[in-house]
Amino acid sequence: MSVLGIAKGMGVTLSHLFKKPVTVQYPEEKVDVQARFRGRHHLLRHPDTGLEKCIGCSLCAAACPAYAIYVEAAENDPDDPTSAGERYASIYEINMLRCIFCGFCEEACPTGAIVLGHEFELADFRYENFVYGKDDMLVGVKGSKWQRREAERAGRDVELGLAPSHRPELEGVDY
Amino acid sequence: MKIHVNDVPLDVAPGTSVIDAVFAAGYDVPYFCSQEYMSPIGACRMCLARVGAPRKDRATGEWILDEATGDAKIFWFPNPMATCTTQVMEGMVVDTLSKEVKRAQNGMVEFTLVNHPLDCPTCDKGGACELQDRAYEYGTGESRFVFDKRHQEKHHALSEAITLDRERCIHCKRCVRYFEEVPGDEVLDFIERGGHTYIGTLEDGLPSPFSGNITDICPVGALLDSTSRFRGRNWEYHHTDTTSLDDPSGAALRIDARTGRIERIKAGLNDEVNKTWIDDGTRFGHEYADHADRITLPMVRKDGRLEPVAWSEAMRVVRDKLGGVDGTKVGVAIRADATLEEGVAAQALAAHLGTGRLDHAPRPAASVLPGGAPATLRDVATSDGLLVLGDPTHEAAIVDLRIKDALKGVPPADLLPHGVPIADLRLTERMPRKTEILTVVAPYRTDLMKHAGRTVTPPAGGEGALLRALLALAHARTEAQGASDPGKAADAALAGWDDAVGMSAADAAALLDALAAAEAPVLIWGGFVSADPDADAAARALATAVGAKTLILGPMANAAGLERIGVLPSHERYAYDPASSEVRAWILGDLDPAQDPTVAKRFADLDALIVHAAFENATTALADVVLPAVTGYEKEGSTLNAEGRLLPVRAAPVEAGAATDFTGVVKAYGEAAGERLEGRSVRSARRVLKKRLDVDLAELPDDGRLLPPAPAAARGARALPARRAATGSALVVPSLVRIEHLDRNPTLLREHGGPTLRMHPSDAHAHGLTRGEVVTVPVGGIPRRLVVAPDDGVPEGTWLVPTLPDQPVGLHPLDLDALRRERGETAEVA
Repeated sequence: MSVLGIAKGMGVTLSHLFKKPVTVQYPEEKVDVQARFRGRHHLLRHPDTGLEKCIGCSLCAAACPAYAIYVEAAENDPDDPTSAGERYASIYEINMLRCIFCGFCEEACPTGAIVLGHEFELADFRYENFVYGKDDMLVGVKGSKWQRREAERAGRDVELGLAPSHRPELEGVDY
Repeated sequence: MKIHVNDVPLDVAPGTSVIDAVFAAGYDVPYFCSQEYMSPIGACRMCLARVGAPRKDRATGEWILDEATGDAKIFWFPNPMATCTTQVMEGMVVDTLSKEVKRAQNGMVEFTLVNHPLDCPTCDKGGACELQDRAYEYGTGESRFVFDKRHQEKHHALSEAITLDRERCIHCKRCVRYFEEVPGDEVLDFIERGGHTYIGTLEDGLPSPFSGNITDICPVGALLDSTSRFRGRNWEYHHTDTTSLDDPSGAALRIDARTGRIERIKAGLNDEVNKTWIDDGTRFGHEYADHADRITLPMVRKDGRLEPVAWSEAMRVVRDKLGGVDGTKVGVAIRADATLEEGVAAQALAAHLGTGRLDHAPRPAASVLPGGAPATLRDVATSDGLLVLGDPTHEAAIVDLRIKDALKGVPPADLLPHGVPIADLRLTERMPRKTEILTVVAPYRTDLMKHAGRTVTPPAGGEGALLRALLALAHARTEAQGASDPGKAADAALAGWDDAVGMSAADAAALLDALAAAEAPVLIWGGFVSADPDADAAARALATAVGAKTLILGPMANAAGLERIGVLPSHERYAYDPASSEVRAWILGDLDPAQDPTVAKRFADLDALIVHAAFENATTALADVVLPAVTGYEKEGSTLNAEGRLLPVRAAPVEAGAATDFTGVVKAYGEAAGERLEGRSVRSARRVLKKRLDVDLAELPDDGRLLPPAPAAARGARALPARRAATGSALVVPSLVRIEHLDRNPTLLREHGGPTLRMHPSDAHAHGLTRGEVVTVPVGGIPRRLVVAPDDGVPEGTWLVPTLPDQPVGLHPLDLDALRRERGETAEVA
């Protein structure tokens, strides 16, 4: 190794001193994510009727390589349906500790009901708080379980550490 | 017959269908309409293949030779053939691989899919669907159909237990054929024609005790079991292949469970026993096992209340309680659907306590083990002379189906390399039935009588008199044959006949003639005969006299097995009698004798009452210690069915807390008492049974193993002392539906209606009872809540009540004066 090599390396370092830093001061600053980023799941509704898209077919659970999804279905009341079609998911749970955010569930879904969103702040304290049910994932719910708990305790809205972003598949979800 | 399937040379029996030859050769053709044990009809046109055969010259009788090769020339059929309805011919050549065949099959898949909805994600059949699989294997993978599909009713409740989706139906006709060919109840048919065809029934629901089987054979998701509707997907279920403990026929079951619940029961395949059919009581009657009321922890009475405790503590209480009681004054009784292993455990427990008061209940007055020549279910299905005493449809439903097999006169097919023949060409639609070979004797009109050439209705409890009269006549006729004038002597034998036994002398003579002429006669009897030792003795003697094999239907699944291994009192004086004042402590497995208020009163001053039960009942309400029991679906063990076949019972994964079977009770008791009792586990019990029966029950194959009848000497040593027949005006009759579980089986309750009190309409009128009215009436001491169902098939003066484990089949006193109307309450009567 020659002196020239050292100088060349230090040159790269020095040149960065004069560039704009890439570090984001999270959580003071919001984070930008790519449109294809895979974060916390959303369960979507049909925008026109408000009915759930999920029909409880359990194909996401079958596709899941981490066995993180548990679905139990039930029959729709024809007078007051939950979803479009005969059956709906009466229980829909994802264990976020097991989930590897691969997105296979999204690919398997025949109705586009489950889509991986951009929220990523899922840290929490207890095991049971990582099992997300329908109430935690249906479109309209903002933030992780912990964020919502904190917001309720403090009496303010959930604030995500996520810069405004958009993904076309996330019908009805806006960050 | 030598044939070629593609490149495989094959030697098959004449009469084999081409589809079976193809499968025997290891090739595959798709099919939807053919079904094992049913007639092939070629309805779906899916099993197409190119078929050809050599031809003989009419003039010379020689094979026509191919000039180029010198071999026999193959003449191909002009079009692809439906292989299920084509019979093999000498020298036949079958081609299932050519482009032409693939194109034909491909076209049929496309045609079948034209009107089939693409709702696989919401369909309960998805993942286990024949159409889905065949479309994947033989379809094009894409649709060219751009028009609207046929729209029909999506969830039509064909009955309370079966949902029909008419859009999904592909008109294979399996269900329609099934009802006519297997149970013989024609309740379903095609309505309309062409693309408008749909299946439907003119009756209210599906009035057949075997309707559920159509959900198993439906190749698509058109017919679905309502108990499991939307409960889970097929790949999520944990499958347990086991044996039904619902009745003594020993039908094979497949239990589908998910997250600790039984979601569905399907029929298993056992060619020797149930083939692929089970009855509705077995199929739909599982919901109780998942009921929220299950006892999941041992409970001990503290300050008058039952408190949940750990097993070890409960067993310390049991030990201390029993410690203060004279061992000979302790009674141990288990229900007659306990496994053989549980029987061994009960024996070990009784031996440890030093009591001879060991029994299984219900146990009829007479033995349920056949003596001389036991008949297997195959013998029943191949018999040409059947005398049935009782109601096998409700006592052991599979026996009913095997009797109907015998009426077809087609012996069971030999198994092929791929199993049961897919298309057995000996079977056809609407086969003539040889009803003349079947005689049914029962004190009321039973389901099987519709199929019998001769029916006999003796007075309730009159089977003994009838059998004795038949026996006497049989003996007299035998003697008459040796007399100088046989004709006159035979007439003399008939002269003393009394028609009051239920049949005329001419009928009796004709019946005996039919049995004598039969090559393989079989005598089948159930609870009505076993309830009366004299009738039982006469039935056995009659079987010997006419050279018939015998099949005895016990009161519950393993009654024969428990009797065989000797879960019996040391003396008849010590037989199970909950009202006995000699017993100071009871250990009861799954029994509820305290429904009878006099027994409840007796139980109040027992020194100890220990109950092993799955649900709280009148007896657990009085118990000192309640131990949680598993249901028949959760047991590991083995059972002996009516024909003497040892069958494996396996445990489905059901969430039931700390519940165990009776071996678990004995294990925990042994631990508390510091003893290692035999039968403390299924393994330990099996070691004992291996010595006694010379069979390793752990190695039992799925279709079981026939146990040779016990040697006569062994039977003599532990011969059952006869008990006296009961009398009364209520005839407790067998029930296909387990009445004790009916309240916790909502689907079955809707389908079947509540337990009924059946009487002749004139009796109902005389007592001012109306159809559907709910009444409570004491039957043999037990107050029974029943729905009034007048039925002209019931003789006047007899009142029919379905059986409970604590109220065995037979006559019981009925206190009509104490009949109480449940005001304003009515129920549907099926």
